[in-house]
Amino acid sequence: MFLAFTLLTLGSALAMAFQKNVIVAGLFLVATFIGVSGLFILLSNPVSAALQIIVYAGAILVLLLFVIMMLNAHEEESPQDDLYLQRYIALGVGGLLLGGSLWFIKQSKLLQSVAERPIDQIAPTSLNEIGAEMLTRHIVSFEMIGLLLLVSMIGAITLVKKRL
Amino acid sequence: MIFSILSLTPELSWMLIKVLVCIGFLMLLAPPLTWVERRGSAMIQDRIGPNRAALFGKIKILGLAHVLADGLKFFFKEDLIPKDANRSLFWIAPALAFIPALLGFAVIPVGRSFQVEGVTYHLSLIDPNNGMGLLYPLAIGGLAVYGVLVAAWSSNNKWSILGGMRASAQMVSYELGLGLSVLALFVAVGGYDPHEVILDQVEHGWFLWRQPIGFLVFFVCQFAETNRLPFDFAEGESEIVAGFHTEFGSMKFGLMGLTEYIHIIVASALIVTLYLGGWSIPFNGDGDRWPVLVTVASFLVKLLFMCWVFVWVRWTLPRFRYDQLMYLGWRIMFPLSLLNLVLNAWWITR
Amino acid sequence: MATLVKKIQLSWWDRLYFPSVLKGMWITWGHFIRQILTPTSKRFTIQYPEMKKEMPEGYRGLHELKQFEDGSIKCVACFMCQEACPARCITIEAEEFSDLNFTQGFEEKRPKVFKIDMLRCIYCGMCEEACPKDAIWLRKDYELAAYDRLSLNYGKWDLMNTYADTDGKPIQTESSELPPSPPRNFVTM
Repeated sequence: MFLAFTLLTLGSALAMAFQKNVIVAGLFLVATFIGVSGLFILLSNPVSAALQIIVYAGAILVLLLFVIMMLNAHEEESPQDDLYLQRYIALGVGGLLLGGSLWFIKQSKLLQSVAERPIDQIAPTSLNEIGAEMLTRHIVSFEMIGLLLLVSMIGAITLVKKRL
Repeated sequence: MIFSILSLTPELSWMLIKVLVCIGFLMLLAPPLTWVERRGSAMIQDRIGPNRAALFGKIKILGLAHVLADGLKFFFKEDLIPKDANRSLFWIAPALAFIPALLGFAVIPVGRSFQVEGVTYHLSLIDPNNGMGLLYPLAIGGLAVYGVLVAAWSSNNKWSILGGMRASAQMVSYELGLGLSVLALFVAVGGYDPHEVILDQVEHGWFLWRQPIGFLVFFVCQFAETNRLPFDFAEGESEIVAGFHTEFGSMKFGLMGLTEYIHIIVASALIVTLYLGGWSIPFNGDGDRWPVLVTVASFLVKLLFMCWVFVWVRWTLPRFRYDQLMYLGWRIMFPLSLLNLVLNAWWITR
Repeated sequence: MATLVKKIQLSWWDRLYFPSVLKGMWITWGHFIRQILTPTSKRFTIQYPEMKKEMPEGYRGLHELKQFEDGSIKCVACFMCQEACPARCITIEAEEFSDLNFTQGFEEKRPKVFKIDMLRCIYCGMCEEACPKDAIWLRKDYELAAYDRLSLNYGKWDLMNTYADTDGKPIQTESSELPPSPPRNFVTM
């Protein structure tokens, strides 16, 4: 199961990166999200899995594809050859990020403790627990995110609406 | 016996039976629904409806043979793919529409759980307390948009893409109201598993009476999600031909048609589970007294009634205008569901 | 002149929409029940091959060439109908005809060929109006179908038999025009 979902995730992520057709790439991204949500289920976190699909696959990517279709961006932009330097820099930064994140994962105490926990102690996280956590321990960040979303919503409205 | 040959454990074989029965049930119920739709609409409009096709030229069975004839016809029709279509996407589009529609049924309990020799059997595909609960049909419902979008885009037809755009925008907008009205339900139940929801309804009465606003919003949004009239903006004969499936023919079109009806069944099943007490029997506090089959029958009766309501509403109401649809979704359904949520939150903390 | 459409201000009750939706559902439900409880024969729909609509008085359907009681054709090949026909679908060829049984030995005129191209015909009834002998009638049959165009070019015998089924008469053919009858005894002067 783990292998299947990993392959689905990685394979469609790669396919997405190399796909020239924007819409097909978007669909591969959906497949990636589904794979990720499968991995969430294997990590006994079904709520995250469901939210992953509802929020990312169900809403955000639909809007993304919607916009792509609306703009009808079929044509490829001609590749620009005079960006060698940028390309190397991007490669370097990407490698650095990859190494850094791998190092972080290796060092992380939390992940270590999760990995060492015996398997029978893992219970599926339920929505109730997540809600309680959010409104007690993480109340500040929860409120911050709410504020951020509110601000971005107001921004979107002012951008779109010409006559307020 | 056969299970011992296949060396299946009781759990696994039970699962297999459930999967087969459920999917078979969905696939078998969808075609007769087309018959219900056609004959029902005929009766509503004082017509007679299709009644001529006959088995072996003799047995007419009220026009039910039309269902078989249609299915056969789909198989033998020429399979056309438009010239500039995206072939691979065009091929998988019906599957992308069909599979999420089928999957949505998985969490719905069709009868009460029972125990045999100490093992508890649940009458839903996914066992309760899996942590996913009712988030699952919502998630799968969100995926249903892709079938429409991909079908629309891959057929390289302006009508198709207009239909697909309208449908997807509509489905995404109405998902908000849907989610929020279900959220109010979660608040009232204090859990989000369909079993808990049903048991709560057995104890305290149907949510249809306890949360009428929530029911209204959920009901309307389900209509929008299934792309049924009065919200069938994916199609529109007078404006965009057949909308997203204009270019689809033969069995591909058949799958698209089946998808619509399976969506209806799943939507009715959700409505029944969430607001009409699921498998519980009305005016009867204790659900455990009844045999399992009676509860299943109760569920089926409610389910078929809801399917009929879908057909009934279709032939009563005309289609909205698109701006009216968006107005309804964002300015009425969304605030209503928020109001419902706040009211329910206030009610339980009172 | 432009007409101003008055915009109707809906009351809050109308703007709820829900009551009117329920009312509409009630109406459709009523229709459903009424229709489903009506036996098939009493329903408004006429189920075509089994039930046929009674055509109204004055309906102009397929033509029939009338015949006398003895089976001879009424038409005298006067070409009035051919002249009157706006669609020019009638073709007549006349012949002289004399038979002891029918004409007592006098020479009479009758059509040798009487053709109506049913695909050209516009069923205006002018031929019926024009006929001095009431020999061509447009009656109430409207079922006209064939697998090729040629078979819709009705000849004399087709036209004489158009309503044989409806009237329950025997079908007339070339051979049955002159039924074998015993030779008459002529009174000699």
